[in-house]
Amino acid sequence: MFAYIDPGTGSLLLQAIAGGVAAAAVAAKFYWGRILRFLRIRKPQDEASSS
Amino acid sequence: MGTREAPDLGIPTEGLYSGVATVLEHDVIPFVSYPYEWTFGMLRDAALLQLELVRRAIGAGMILKDSSPYNVQFRGSRPIFVDIGSFERLREGEAWAGYRQFCMLFLFPLLLHAWKRVPFQPWLRGSIEGISPQECRSLLSLRDLFRRGALTHVALHSRLERRYQQRDADIKQELKAAGFRKEIIVANVKGLEKLVSRLRSPASTSTWSGYGLTTTYSDADADRKTLFVSEAVTSERPRLVWDLGCNDGHHARIAAATADYVVAVDADAVVVDRLYETLKSERTSTILPLAMNLVDPSPGLGWRGVERRTLLGRGRPDLALCLALIHHVVIGGNVPVKEFIDWLRELSAVIVIEFPSPEDPMVRRLLARKRPHDHPDYRQDWFERCLLERFDLVTSEHLSSGTRTLYHVRPKS
Repeated sequence: MFAYIDPGTGSLLLQAIAGGVAAAAVAAKFYWGRILRFLRIRKPQDEASSS
Repeated sequence: MGTREAPDLGIPTEGLYSGVATVLEHDVIPFVSYPYEWTFGMLRDAALLQLELVRRAIGAGMILKDSSPYNVQFRGSRPIFVDIGSFERLREGEAWAGYRQFCMLFLFPLLLHAWKRVPFQPWLRGSIEGISPQECRSLLSLRDLFRRGALTHVALHSRLERRYQQRDADIKQELKAAGFRKEIIVANVKGLEKLVSRLRSPASTSTWSGYGLTTTYSDADADRKTLFVSEAVTSERPRLVWDLGCNDGHHARIAAATADYVVAVDADAVVVDRLYETLKSERTSTILPLAMNLVDPSPGLGWRGVERRTLLGRGRPDLALCLALIHHVVIGGNVPVKEFIDWLRELSAVIVIEFPSPEDPMVRRLLARKRPHDHPDYRQDWFERCLLERFDLVTSEHLSSGTRTLYHVRPKS
């Protein structure tokens, strides 16, 4: 992760929560992706290409 | 802020890691100030400027890569953004990298000040990076968590930060895949703008707020003092004036009528905040209000102690007003009279100084808190001797109430 200052992993994630309705959908999708990976339904490398 | 391409003056590129694409210059800020010298209202207005810039930059396909109040300066009561290098092209699907810094240096200081009455100035002076989400969270009570913005920006933020501290997961990539887009940043920024603009400084009666009303001067004395200052400033024609111990800014305004720029300093941040709000409503651009205790002025901070400069390292005045100040420095701050005059001499400026005698009601009030002979040097004859050893007297005036004398002096060469 490259940035001029440390954007903070938690801070990035929070923005997918603090950004209203559109953000809620992103947060849901983000965590859904994590559940699928946890259940090994989706492989980690699918992430980037799945959208 | 009046940025333009600078004429090529043959900037030496020797010793630089990479070349120079272009050289920009911008209008000179008359006097540099830092967030730990600002009042609540100043930090809030700087925060709103920062947010507005992020929102408008996104509209133009750009974003700001950081979010630091050190990128904002004040021209009088107007905040000005001074870091063109902060703007960069917006990459679709990426979150706002400056959000964390915004929280640490703008939002949390303001929240703690407004909600918990914890002044942000000492904290920002002690921590150049600001207040971390965890630190802010530790200071909030259960009741505070019900306030607007507390749950997401503080509680959840601190929790997520702790949770993801040790993990290397590529959250950025995952967020992009989950459909993160710029509209989410805009929604967040709009929410922050609403939150910040509603914050108010806790209404508290500070030591000197109301001084203008409860002062011990007679009207005649106040008028003489005004005239004395006005004549001194008019005859000296200074460019930069410092009004030390400015209180409600009355004399700073008189100086600003002649001088190019006045830096008005007072240790009482509440009084200075009130002055800032008044100057703002008048759109005054020639008086910069700052909250600072002269007995403990801003030190050099950051890398090598020069990233943020000392007060004197940022420029010296041509004329300094020290009205109703010396008794606070000497008696309140335990600085010997001679020391204080030495410091004034170091300014190499014309000085307009008022000496209230030990019999003055205000001085007696300060002395009453001390043992009888704690300040044997606080005497008019000793003050005059110290002053006139280092300065030439232009004129002096004894006010009719009998306990106060004004001096207009120039440094001896």
